[in-house]
Amino acid sequence: MIDRGHIGFTTAPTTVTVDAWRVKLFCQAVGETDTVYWDQQAARAAGHPACPLPPTYLKALEGEHFSSAALMQLLKVPLAGVLHAEQAFEHHAPVHVGDRVEISREVTDIVDKKGGAMSLIFVDTTYRVGTLTAARSRQTILVRQPQATT
Amino acid sequence: MSLPQTLTLRCGPVTAVDLALFAAASGDHNPLHLDAETARRAGFERPVVHGMYTLANAARLFTQTFGAGRLIELQTRFTGVALLGDSVSFEATLTDPAGGHYSLTAHTDGGTQLVSGSARVALA
Repeated sequence: MIDRGHIGFTTAPTTVTVDAWRVKLFCQAVGETDTVYWDQQAARAAGHPACPLPPTYLKALEGEHFSSAALMQLLKVPLAGVLHAEQAFEHHAPVHVGDRVEISREVTDIVDKKGGAMSLIFVDTTYRVGTLTAARSRQTILVRQPQATT
Repeated sequence: MSLPQTLTLRCGPVTAVDLALFAAASGDHNPLHLDAETARRAGFERPVVHGMYTLANAARLFTQTFGAGRLIELQTRFTGVALLGDSVSFEATLTDPAGGHYSLTAHTDGGTQLVSGSARVALA
């Protein structure tokens, strides 16, 4: 059993700056060819005030704040039995290269399935730029045969 | 502008360099994605493609058509894994033209379904 006392655990917000080089590397890795993500002139020509982020790049920023691997360590869940089961993003306002993004994560629920043979951990993340909530995400982590932990 | 009924994207074959670059860019250095022996011990023939690599391309399915900034919701369930060397096909189908909702699937050339989900794009 994963200790249900972790439900509601919330990370202290920290601020992560969006680095241009890393966004470009991300684009190279996934085969993104649209130059708006790394060329400021192309971004402005397309109507953006600065280079926008690829939509799922927020997950990389989240890792700079408090990675899911670190979260599993906190919950005493061995990484070997963990699967990334679901991922959702809601984008409310654009985030750009150079922005300082304030990030916080919360363990919102831990649910047993199949008589305890597996558990689901729900982790919500909030991304703020200035006073705006720019995005939210939810990661569902599946833990196979969770070990007894206290 | 009316929304396209169907969107498609192919990526791959995913190379070891792609996975190494993605590990560096994403911060996910799990050796399951990078090391053949670790992958074999975990029961996979070859290193496993990061789920977030697949999801980044699922997002491209929409941004390549609508541009950056129009994708406002993306929800996915990972139903299978792609392996090093796989090519992946993505397809989205418009389910609610008035709301900008699409359903989303992805599968490898070998037929493994990777993702089942939905998305919403901002109407122009």
